[in-house]
Amino acid sequence: MKTTITVIVLLCLCIFSGASFTSRTINTKEDLGRKLFFDPILSEDSTISCASCHRPEFAFADTARVSVGVHQRNGKRNSPSAMNLLIQEKFFWDGRADSLEQQALAPIENPDEMNLSLDEALRRLNNSKDYAQLFDRFYQSGATRASLASAIASFERTLETGESSFDEWKITDDSSLVSPAVMRGFDIFSTKGKCTSCHFGSNFTRNDFRNIGLFNGVDLNDSGRAVITGNPADIGKFKTPGLRNVALTAPYMHNGMFRTLKEVIQFYNDPGKIVPDAICRDSVLAKPLGLTEQDMADLEAFLLSVTDKQFTNTTAKSGK
Amino acid sequence: MKFDETFYTMKLLLIFIQIVAASFLLSDELSGRWESKPSPKGSVTTVVFKSGNRFEGFVNKKPFVSGTYTYVDSVFHFSDNGCNGVAGDYRIIFYNNADSMRFETIQDSCTERMHGMERLRLGKVK
Repeated sequence: MKTTITVIVLLCLCIFSGASFTSRTINTKEDLGRKLFFDPILSEDSTISCASCHRPEFAFADTARVSVGVHQRNGKRNSPSAMNLLIQEKFFWDGRADSLEQQALAPIENPDEMNLSLDEALRRLNNSKDYAQLFDRFYQSGATRASLASAIASFERTLETGESSFDEWKITDDSSLVSPAVMRGFDIFSTKGKCTSCHFGSNFTRNDFRNIGLFNGVDLNDSGRAVITGNPADIGKFKTPGLRNVALTAPYMHNGMFRTLKEVIQFYNDPGKIVPDAICRDSVLAKPLGLTEQDMADLEAFLLSVTDKQFTNTTAKSGK
Repeated sequence: MKFDETFYTMKLLLIFIQIVAASFLLSDELSGRWESKPSPKGSVTTVVFKSGNRFEGFVNKKPFVSGTYTYVDSVFHFSDNGCNGVAGDYRIIFYNNADSMRFETIQDSCTERMHGMERLRLGKVK
């Protein structure tokens, strides 16, 4: 009898401490968003979470050319990094979402990704005692479309990075913090490489849409932004991605066709050599850039230098 | 003859000192850290005017733009890495006892930058 009581008391203590741990770790709607981001509850067969395709150790991008969703279905485009979205204005490669909240819900219903109706997602969340309590705490109601989107978007807004060696160099003006190759690379990035024509700003993007020459209407037939706007001038245009942590987000481009940064730089140096039959390639890339091998190596060194310290340290913060 | 040469050298030296002194005095008005108030989206722009007529711009503490400038008779002439090296000219209007400044376009063919500059209000960070 004494042993039974001891076991019951211990069990109660374990349950109680577990519950208090949960309530301690989820103190904000951002924390709730993080829990949702990593929880496969939002996919049809409870196998895929947002983090399945936006992996923390790869700057919240994926290593696959296109991500694999429920029932091993392949997505249509490469999963971009979910970091540094705070000041972005359009989301997805084709810019079909006008807010991070709008973006956050779309993969749940996408048949190739999580394939779960939002009604079913909300039913699951509201049937979960844990989630029902959390939504009530932060949104004063059960889970709704708006609160689900808000929580996930709020978490994503915390994923800002700004502590790379490049940042430190610019902030402190101490050039010993980066190699001469990085400095030369930044200069090429800003001048001869014409990179800042599109990749300019605090996250190295102007947040606009460009056709860089990866549409030929044959084997490269994703028309991108034009599907959203209906404007033929937008054919083959995709959102210019930011470049922070780009060393971690391979493969590259909307279709994941380049495996390394070196391949990307070689493409930009002479796009016509890689895709000779591109339709409506941007005028910035009308002529080969004429970069030397040294220029390209320096550019790559610069791109590596915008990797945040949390990744250059041995253990990446998982955000989990 | 020797006197003329010495006089000429001294005159050159004096002119040089005047130019250096003038550039120091003028750049002192700008040098240091200036910051905007948060935008509706919460973004804060910081501009740091450095030695050697260089400046760095930051958005939310992330490097945003690098460039070089001159500042003579209220005219801020600069080029940066965002507009393919194209230079722009702006008149700087100081207000609040020279603790704050705004930019009035004189000429800038870089339209995107011009729109940003016209909206920009910076306060001196002390």
